[in-house]
Amino acid sequence: MRIGQACQCIAQARGERVIVATMGAMFALDALGVSEARLSSVPLMGGAASLGLGLSLANPEVGVIVIDGDASLLMQLGGLVSVADNAPRRFLHFVVQNGTQFTGASNLGVPGGKDVDFGALARAAGYTRALRIDTVEALAEALPLLLQEDGPAFAALVVDAEPSQFGADRPQPELPDRQFQRMGLEAEQLASWYAAKTGAAAS
Amino acid sequence: MTAGTGIGASEYLEALQQAGVTDFVTVPDFVQLALHQAIEGGDSPIRLVRTCNEDQAVCVAAGLRIGGRQPIVVIQNQGLYACINTVRAVALDARIPTVFLIGQFGRENANLGRPTTESGRRVVSLLEPLLDTLQVPHWGLDASSDLAAMRAAFETAAARRGAAALIVNQPIAWH
Repeated sequence: MRIGQACQCIAQARGERVIVATMGAMFALDALGVSEARLSSVPLMGGAASLGLGLSLANPEVGVIVIDGDASLLMQLGGLVSVADNAPRRFLHFVVQNGTQFTGASNLGVPGGKDVDFGALARAAGYTRALRIDTVEALAEALPLLLQEDGPAFAALVVDAEPSQFGADRPQPELPDRQFQRMGLEAEQLASWYAAKTGAAAS
Repeated sequence: MTAGTGIGASEYLEALQQAGVTDFVTVPDFVQLALHQAIEGGDSPIRLVRTCNEDQAVCVAAGLRIGGRQPIVVIQNQGLYACINTVRAVALDARIPTVFLIGQFGRENANLGRPTTESGRRVVSLLEPLLDTLQVPHWGLDASSDLAAMRAAFETAAARRGAAALIVNQPIAWH
């Protein structure tokens, strides 16, 4: 499974749920043209699940889908317990498990690689359902069940790492300002989106 | 000053409610034990949200804020030191209003009545200079009259679209 396929499948099934994503999924969603009701945890590895938890606790009736990265989740494994302890409703947490970091830029190994059983960790933390999904067909089949779960639910998406782009013949470019500004812009838009849904004033 | 003679937990609760706080997002602090117990005991309508570390607390509070709530992040000085990059990303770069209530864990009695920057313990003396470096406005809470700063902190965080910090300089009293 490629990350683009996984994100397309999730985007098609999301309904009105908010998506909180980290780097790899963020770029895949950008490429798919998914722009509404999003929040990117960037540049901030490990923040996605907790950002999503806060969104979910604020508006439990509006679902949240977190698309985390494996290296990111490893930085904040305790966040699984924070999520489960607060028992958010309609909270679906994916981790993209490709076994690499700086994926697609210059693939470097992640501790544990693809051997880490994230589903077991999520179950042990207290998530109500946790799956490991290897194919886009299995993801499409599992999504209705996962989205119906009162939550929090979890699924590890085992995907192929995208090929490295950068090296001696093609050094990495300067990072664009947008990467350091988009979380704030998206937060502002999302606050207005929530306010419009709930009839409250955005602050 | 010793534990039990500072501002009372009930006064803090009242100030939090007057400031419109809806969610108490926390990794507990020794200096604020009395307030934590009051919140855990359900002495107010403010919701308790426990997180495993301060990075998570800052992010959960940001999500709550985006979703229309008024959270406060309740931690101790060591906790702030632990989550600087998350504060940078969420409250400074993304400009999501974030208000902290930070206990001066480890402040020695000999330092009471003097600037905390003169404390012999770095865990205490570094807090205000660090907040200044981050350009985070802050208020010290030493007496009941200082609790008026609670509302000011929220107004400042909202107006500046950034972080603001209230510093609990003495143990909160158990009343």
